[in-house]
Amino acid sequence: MTSVVKKSNNRKLAILALFTVLVSVGYLVVAVDPKYLSFAMSLRVPRLVVMLVVAFCIGSASIVFQSIINNNIVTPCLLGMNSLYTLIHTAVVFFLGSGSIIATNANLAFVVDLVLMGFAATVLYSYIFKKTRHNVLYVLLVGTILTSFFGSIQSTLTRVMDPNEYDNLLSTLVASFTRVNSGILLVAILLMVAVVIWLRRDLALLDVITLGKAQAINLGVDYDRTIRRLLLGVTLFIAIATAMVGPVSFMGLIVANLARQLFKTYRHTYLITGAGFIGMVILVGGQLIVEHVYTYAVPISVFITVGGGIYFLYLLMRQGKG
Amino acid sequence: MMHIKNLTKRYEQKTVVDDVSFQIPKGKVISLIGPNGAGKSTVMGMISRLVARDEGLIEFEGKDLKHWKSRELAKRLAILTQSSNIQMKLTVRELVCFGRFPYSGNNLNEEDYKIVDKAISYMELEEFQDRFIDELSGGQRQRAYIAMVIAQDTEYVLLDEPTNNLDIYHATNMMKMVRRLCDELGKTVILVLHEINYAAFYSDYICAFKNGKVAKFGTVDEVITKENLSEIYGVDFEIQTVEGRPLCLYY
Repeated sequence: MTSVVKKSNNRKLAILALFTVLVSVGYLVVAVDPKYLSFAMSLRVPRLVVMLVVAFCIGSASIVFQSIINNNIVTPCLLGMNSLYTLIHTAVVFFLGSGSIIATNANLAFVVDLVLMGFAATVLYSYIFKKTRHNVLYVLLVGTILTSFFGSIQSTLTRVMDPNEYDNLLSTLVASFTRVNSGILLVAILLMVAVVIWLRRDLALLDVITLGKAQAINLGVDYDRTIRRLLLGVTLFIAIATAMVGPVSFMGLIVANLARQLFKTYRHTYLITGAGFIGMVILVGGQLIVEHVYTYAVPISVFITVGGGIYFLYLLMRQGKG
Repeated sequence: MMHIKNLTKRYEQKTVVDDVSFQIPKGKVISLIGPNGAGKSTVMGMISRLVARDEGLIEFEGKDLKHWKSRELAKRLAILTQSSNIQMKLTVRELVCFGRFPYSGNNLNEEDYKIVDKAISYMELEEFQDRFIDELSGGQRQRAYIAMVIAQDTEYVLLDEPTNNLDIYHATNMMKMVRRLCDELGKTVILVLHEINYAAFYSDYICAFKNGKVAKFGTVDEVITKENLSEIYGVDFEIQTVEGRPLCLYY
């Protein structure tokens, strides 16, 4: 990379970091009554940390996923984690009732989500990947099918469900940053760190992997093994984020593409950190607006989905032209 | 030295490469030729570890390819395939820098940059080095990839149909380049070719395939004969001699 580009990318990264700090501070102090400062902080700090962690999860996972698939308009949503999450929660309410301990106890719900999604990630996807002779596109296809499969079961369950139960259920099916407690947060962060340490060698190979399979092998990458491990890491990251706050991975598409547009580079150090920061700005900024302008009337996932949808159309049209 | 022993590849029930054995002499240009579906590209794929083999051994420097560490192999053996579509915005110089990846990973040192500079000037790409790959013409792009292979600094270079999609001018330059890689840089070059005359004019050895088997292997003069080619391709051939090299005529 030429030093000019490098400098400008470093500057962009610094500006993004500054923005992140600004919205974070804004989120903490806007409309705080100084009398109840410590009470307000005890509510807002954990929420802020959750958002930062989730944003980083989704941003980095999306960039890595796109680089593995070698396509910039895919999102890890396609792996079906969102619909698996919705299915798990619906099934719990349907079979055990909304009063059951799994539905009411946040810690337990988190563990159940994480174990089931982690199981799907490790067993299902690793198995499919091996079975299809290491073809990522098959994994993508299977993911898409599973998404509709889980979705169909879920909608069947909701159709025959008691309307009151359904009402209870609905609130857990949209992404929310308010119901995470610090214990869950700690577990999630530890898990993420563990995944990153486990994959540190594979992550360093991402730049070369974007050159395509043949070139990566030429340059000494153990391709199938690396892709398998990275894919697993992506799925686990998405599983962690989704288990914490609910379905948010659609944000990944926006975040990853904004990062790629902003940093015109193949260097994943920039892309991943950049995507992380952009995600943080969008999420914290969005939540700030949701809480103080709309006073919780609209959940943030609505904004993300609408904005993401429009941005996706824009990307498709731009691709069609180019 | 590369030893290929009893190499076999099957897709479902169809055997596409059938018990192929030959030796690749060091420091020479070896062309794999043959009609479509004869198995030459599959053999190449297996040698370059892009295609999994069903049976057989590929011994490289006394050790089967499977037992080499990927990184180590990348310092000895470079592969260039025809399909190279890159999604990223990448400049020529950045691409050539990737050639040093097996040695230094993502952080190149002074020595690596010197080698990259040399590779770029060897391929006369100085004026293009900051241009993006997807903005280059087909011929320039080929040169950029060759520069990367040179930066990779391997003893062996494997090229899969390097003249595909190139016009006569660029294809001929490509073949001259192959010769220079061998003569000036001392590399062993193994390539798959469709154009028999390029193979006859620029290689030292030829391995001709038919129906998944090695039909003929030997020096150019041994393999390029009227009888051999007619048998392999099923077409009538005339062989003439130009500049001491056989020239094949077919119609």
